[in-house]
Amino acid sequence: MQPSDKNFVELRNITKVYPDGTVALRGVSLSIRYGEILGLLGENGAGKTTLMKILSGVLQPTTGELLVEGRRVRFRSPADALRHGIGMVHQHFTLVPNFTVLENIILGIERERQGLTGTLSGIDFESHVKRLEKLMEETELKVPLDAEVQKLSLGLRQRTEILKVLYRGVRLLILDEPTTFLTPLEVEELFKVLRNLKSQGKTVIFITHKIKEALEITDRIVVMRGGRVVGEVPTREASPEVLGELMVGKRMELDVLLRARKPRTEGRPVLEVRGLVVKNDLGLEAVRGVSFKVYPGEIYGIAGVEGNGQAELVEAITGLRKPESGEIVIDGVRVSVETPIDVYRMGISHIPGDRDRYGLVLEFTVKENTIIGRQWERSFTRGLALNWRSIARYAWEIIKRFNIVTPGIDAQARALSGGNRQRLVVGRELSKKPRLIVAAHPTRGLDIASTMYIRELLAEYRDKGAAVLLVSADLDEIFQLSDRIAVMYEGRIVAEMPAEKADRRQIGLLMGGYQVASQKA
Amino acid sequence: MGLASRILETVAQPLLALAIGLAVSALLMAIYGYDPVLAYKALFTGAYGSTYDLMETLAFAVPIMLTGITFAIGVRAGLFNIGAEGQLYMGAIGAVIAGAFLSLPWPLHVLVATLAGMLFGLLWSVGPALLKVFRGVHEVISTIMFNWIAFYLATYLVLYQLAEPGRAEKTYSVLETARYGVLVEGTSLTSVLFVAIAFNIAVNVFLTQTKMGFELRMYGLNPDAARFAGISEKKVIIVSFLIGGLAAGLAGATQVLGRPPTWALYGTLGNVVRLGFEGIGVALIGRNHPIGIIIASLFVGGLRHGGRYMEIEAGIYSELVDAVTGLIIIALAVPEVFEAIKRYRLKRRVAGG
Repeated sequence: MQPSDKNFVELRNITKVYPDGTVALRGVSLSIRYGEILGLLGENGAGKTTLMKILSGVLQPTTGELLVEGRRVRFRSPADALRHGIGMVHQHFTLVPNFTVLENIILGIERERQGLTGTLSGIDFESHVKRLEKLMEETELKVPLDAEVQKLSLGLRQRTEILKVLYRGVRLLILDEPTTFLTPLEVEELFKVLRNLKSQGKTVIFITHKIKEALEITDRIVVMRGGRVVGEVPTREASPEVLGELMVGKRMELDVLLRARKPRTEGRPVLEVRGLVVKNDLGLEAVRGVSFKVYPGEIYGIAGVEGNGQAELVEAITGLRKPESGEIVIDGVRVSVETPIDVYRMGISHIPGDRDRYGLVLEFTVKENTIIGRQWERSFTRGLALNWRSIARYAWEIIKRFNIVTPGIDAQARALSGGNRQRLVVGRELSKKPRLIVAAHPTRGLDIASTMYIRELLAEYRDKGAAVLLVSADLDEIFQLSDRIAVMYEGRIVAEMPAEKADRRQIGLLMGGYQVASQKA
Repeated sequence: MGLASRILETVAQPLLALAIGLAVSALLMAIYGYDPVLAYKALFTGAYGSTYDLMETLAFAVPIMLTGITFAIGVRAGLFNIGAEGQLYMGAIGAVIAGAFLSLPWPLHVLVATLAGMLFGLLWSVGPALLKVFRGVHEVISTIMFNWIAFYLATYLVLYQLAEPGRAEKTYSVLETARYGVLVEGTSLTSVLFVAIAFNIAVNVFLTQTKMGFELRMYGLNPDAARFAGISEKKVIIVSFLIGGLAAGLAGATQVLGRPPTWALYGTLGNVVRLGFEGIGVALIGRNHPIGIIIASLFVGGLRHGGRYMEIEAGIYSELVDAVTGLIIIALAVPEVFEAIKRYRLKRRVAGG
């Protein structure tokens, strides 16, 4: 069946501001047509998931309106959206692990169907099974109904999720990054299912950051960036290059290059990673054999959409996660890092991706925060006791040197703005005079002034001879700072090149899973 | 926030909570046909009205300011350690053994018996600590179980091994050389009060002035950042449990070595039972701060001592008295409970991304 021209759903001028002030959507309008597979493409933080959570009733928009089949609606909960035939399968599954597939699917429906009096009478499993078997027949989504969910593969769990939503009579199915945890074969099967659903007249929205997948499965692609829709193309007219460019943007907002004048890739590397394999929390291989070297006086930037193994890579290097295999060599010494304190003692600075969670204790004072991870250092202690006088002196020094705006050293870190919190973390880490700096998304969510300041600091320390490993999903940042650029995709470094030879569009393609034949490192 | 408004907040909030607690309790008493005004008069003059009463209130405050520390140092390290009750029994047993069966000169005997109580409490906290660290057993489960084991073990020891011949309801009394001196003749307050206060102050110094205290607080507030900063989770958990065990053991010892007239432990454990759990309320009212806990214990001790007058002067059944004092304690603890929930949810939100 061909997609129709008529709109099933229309989103008009949707904005979303989260309670903490983050603007996720800045006026998005989008229409979804009957029977199409619409690809929603964009990097992390582009606003795709937020927009779809609004459409499926999980979140409420700050402003803007929602039309289903031409009528204005307001969804206060996912149940409201389901009543209009709209359901979403989230990236992180929402199944009860020790329930069977059947129990998971009818969970919630049963109560709604039978009302209060019905809750006392038994559940009519048989009729559910009959109807589910029919549905499975039609959609070719086969799942063993009496198997416990925790014993199923991730692919089957996802089928269960899809089946669960379809069983609720959904006509518009939203899938959020559905291929994240799937093997290539499972992805193929998923696509078959989606085509089949389309042939039965269902409408599908496919959220992804993978250009290749969007091109393969969709009819039309909408690209989002920074909370806005930046492009819309019928899939058959789309080229990977154009999509890549739309996804990452053309222009650098802060286009002063901070690259080294004489990048060095000789001598002994400060950090060498060889064949590193690291598993994520789900026990899947997130880093699949990564090797690279970082030399003193260079910034080695790893670009990539988040969730492609960068977080696990950084955690392994900084001792927060144990690698499965491979080697990490720092200053020529093969290290088996037991705890992060070993890393700190080796003179490594780690600027974490999530400063509030890893970098700071928000309830602690600024003074206390300046010695986190360094509380054992001799200059801050007197025997077993902390030397608060010298700590206070040091805290003031950091505040002055890194231009931190704070009511004082005894104010809670919570009282500081995001930019100043990050300055505090960066200041603390850099004042260790590190040989190696590991910075993950160091300027995420910061204002322009703080962003520039922190990037300049990283460049300054690089010029002083430190080796910097920069991991960032922000391509501007990668381009502005890096002396060499690598791209990580699905746990592997798929390309590595000197920055002056790198091309934004090509990097964008690589981030989206497109292999550029000539560029393999 | 200005200093004035901060003081206002720290003072106004508990006062408001107290007012609500008193109002709800008054309603409860009125429903049962008692005169709340008379009852409260009996309660507060009973608690703080005379030197004698003040001394008794202080005597009641001693054990709970210590068991309060057990709970509080758990919370400060992100734990929910409710094992003070069992550790307190064992501390009392230790004090009885060292106080009644060793022969040492005063004041050395006092010191040894006190340390024995603390040691027994500490040893009883090792089990849950190790279970948590090495087997991942949640401390609520393990400490409840250890509390029951301690209850029956202590009861057995008192009745079969330590009972005074001819007076089988209690253990041997500790020797005079192992007793803390009574401060005011005719009251049950002894110089053990100063030991308890010193202990609380020492814990405060530990938390604010030492490396280990810094690491413990950091782990309690943000375990992710603590791991990130190279702090050993195991070390923090064990230290928190051990200090809690010392506090509860000392609390048990105070009831044997520092509270006339028995200087012993009853077979029913009647003179120590519940003091561990009361520490939880004291810790919550005192905002899990060692100094706050001292102040809170003076208040809760007052309720315990003064509460007895509600029965005598206003004729209220002792069960209702318990309900009334319980309600007041709950009302005062509620703000901290809310704080804890808020912190927990915030942590989850941060963790959830």
